[in-house]
Amino acid sequence: MGVFKLKKGYDIPLQGIAERRLEKAPKTTSVAVQPIDFRGLRPAMKVEAGDTVSRGSILFVDKQNPEILFRSPAAGTVREVVRGERRAIQRVIIDVSSDSAESFDKYTAEQVKVLVASQAKEILLNSGLWPTLRQRPFSKIAALDASPKSIFISAMDSAPLQAETDMLLEGQEKSFQLGIHMLSKLTEGKINLSVSARTKAFFSTISGVELHEFSGPHPAGNVGVQIHHIDRIQAGEKVWYLSPRHVAQIGNFLMTGEYPGSKTYALTGSELEKRHYVAGVEGALVRDLVDAELDKKTQRVISGNVLTGAKSSSLGYVGFYDDMITIVPELEGRRFFGWLRLGLNANSFWPIFLSKLTPKKKLAPTTDMNGEERAFVSTGKYEKVVPMDVLPVHLCKAILVEDIELMEQLGIYEVGPEDLALCSYICPSKIEFGDIILKGIETMEKEG
Amino acid sequence: MKALQKLLATLDVKIKEGPFKIVHPMFGAINTMLFTPGHGTTTGPHIRDSIDMKRFMGIVIFALVPSILVGSYNVGAQAGIEGLFAAFMFGFLKLLPIIVVTYAVGLGWEMIFGHINGHDIHEGFLVTGILLPLTLPPTIPLWQVAVAVSFGTVIGKEVFGGTGMNLLNPALTARAFLFFTYPGNISGDSVWVAVDGFTGATPLAAAAASTGPAVDALNTAGFTLNNMFFGFIPGSIGETSTIAILIGAAILLITGVGSWRIMLATVVGAYGMALIVQFFGADVVGGMRSLPAHYHLLMGGFMFGAVFMATDPVSAAGTNAGKWVYGILIGVMVILIRVFNPAYPEGMMLAILFGNVFSPLIDHFVVQANIKRRLNYGK
Repeated sequence: MGVFKLKKGYDIPLQGIAERRLEKAPKTTSVAVQPIDFRGLRPAMKVEAGDTVSRGSILFVDKQNPEILFRSPAAGTVREVVRGERRAIQRVIIDVSSDSAESFDKYTAEQVKVLVASQAKEILLNSGLWPTLRQRPFSKIAALDASPKSIFISAMDSAPLQAETDMLLEGQEKSFQLGIHMLSKLTEGKINLSVSARTKAFFSTISGVELHEFSGPHPAGNVGVQIHHIDRIQAGEKVWYLSPRHVAQIGNFLMTGEYPGSKTYALTGSELEKRHYVAGVEGALVRDLVDAELDKKTQRVISGNVLTGAKSSSLGYVGFYDDMITIVPELEGRRFFGWLRLGLNANSFWPIFLSKLTPKKKLAPTTDMNGEERAFVSTGKYEKVVPMDVLPVHLCKAILVEDIELMEQLGIYEVGPEDLALCSYICPSKIEFGDIILKGIETMEKEG
Repeated sequence: MKALQKLLATLDVKIKEGPFKIVHPMFGAINTMLFTPGHGTTTGPHIRDSIDMKRFMGIVIFALVPSILVGSYNVGAQAGIEGLFAAFMFGFLKLLPIIVVTYAVGLGWEMIFGHINGHDIHEGFLVTGILLPLTLPPTIPLWQVAVAVSFGTVIGKEVFGGTGMNLLNPALTARAFLFFTYPGNISGDSVWVAVDGFTGATPLAAAAASTGPAVDALNTAGFTLNNMFFGFIPGSIGETSTIAILIGAAILLITGVGSWRIMLATVVGAYGMALIVQFFGADVVGGMRSLPAHYHLLMGGFMFGAVFMATDPVSAAGTNAGKWVYGILIGVMVILIRVFNPAYPEGMMLAILFGNVFSPLIDHFVVQANIKRRLNYGK
């Protein structure tokens, strides 16, 4: 067991963490599977509006790799295939009306253990759960052609108002273990499971994994940071990663022979009164999970966490990889001499406002940019929130000038946009590090 | 407040589309200074730190206030004005026109380039516009200030692409321009005291010219360690008072705006080099080589440069390891120039510009080391 104590990083003191209490979702009226959740995916539709689907019916496949299936998490009628710019398919919405389910073969742990790699791969592809596997470099659905050097699972969320892994997995130890057995068929290397002091207990009996314990502020829980410390990615290498919830989902599929559509979310954010965990369904409608009236003008609904989540609304659907909904106040307008304020309640990493005197006080910042974009200034602070041997400013500059070789040398393969999210947060020049990293990843994919 | 916001919004559109659109960069800067820009996030991170460039640069200006106050007083005191307030007012009225000219000319250029490049006036100039006057003697002719600011802003910054792209510190570029084009007005013995016909050497000049032990010469001239620490000596307006600069340094360090690495490295580099010089100059009588190491830290523009100029985040080395090398380089250079260049007892300005020029190279090596570590990983 490796123990990694990370010093660099920052936990933003935010109001609105979810109580450790699980409730049933108030209702389930509709769900959506959203091709936009999967970076670079071009879907080929298998259903159209008006079709009746069961839980586990194929909705669409990957056009480039038709073996990669996307199955419906609930049963009902396809209401709409929503298209965006240039007719790109954004989401498939299903009105939930029954609980019929397609059935698949069931597997016990013993049966899984004797599978060969190709069988395991085939079962996983057919399950519709292949998209739970993502790869580094490039942070996208794992490619079919190569097997990974190793697999990484981060069983600790360090992001602001984090959804705690043991709450998301409550009662699913057996499924999780079965999922691990399945994954071990897919790599010659290790399955690295990273836990925190808090989530350690839940995973103490799991076998077939290399257990690592991480401590420290965000982004210590990011799988990219963990990969960097456990086994860095070299040029030409590939690793896979997935969330612990998805491991359990794979196990569930094998155990029950049905597509497991249920999913637990954390409801968080200072704008929510009732904050807790809620048992709902994959691709849930925000309004079905949140038992509150939401106002678009004054409240920002985020699918995911406040740093890297996607902007949504009460009529939006939670993303495939997101385990939480965060609701924060929207920007209030312009503030008189904002840059001169003493800032008793100003959220800041910098010791530049009076709020620094009360570091424990939780704040409820709005979606204000708090400034305008300016040139890069080498303040030396970015390095303080990146617990990796990566030079964030130099990497981003290499991306901006599209110097492919330098990007590679400075570690573009090792980072995902979420790993530098705190750089964007603390930046006095309001530079979008995440967007730049994403651009770099896309450039490398095209050119490499 | 709402009415004012509305008025600003109307003006914003009118100026942008009207015949005076050239002043829009200036208007934009004033507009966002009065009220925060009020832009919301569109992607993650959905919330952002409360810091922005206005706050950042505002802190630097705040940190300069002690130097402005003590410096102004000292200009009056050196000119023989009695009374705390009278001396201060005398000095302040010498400093104020220099600041006004610097801002007026500098902001004019910034406005033109902002108009060309389509952005508001950036906050960096607000600091440059205070830094430069503080490094000048109180007797400087204002037209020279105007020419220097033009040079510093246009050649020192805008030709490189504006704030953030410049290689050299714009304020020091302007000062160096003055130093080499009009040396008679910024060096020598006759410019430091704001009284016509009065000559008064700076401690550095006195030490350099000494024929006996330098400390004796300094003491004879009234330049005790105390006077130099509190800043009651002839010199550039803001550079004389070490204590005022140290208060500013504390503000920069507490708020994290100034780099402690650069400040410490510069001091360590200078003190270390001065000790070496002192060691090898033990038998030297007179001149800079006979000066004890700690005197160097209190004299001339050293402290002001180390705290406010070397730490300019744009022209300094950008990597944390690089900042150490950069600071030490500046510290070593300043002592070498002071001691071994008899033509020029003050070395800080050139040492920092020298550091600025080398900082991309220093960063290059730090980046190469990072790349090497990545390549060698697992081997």
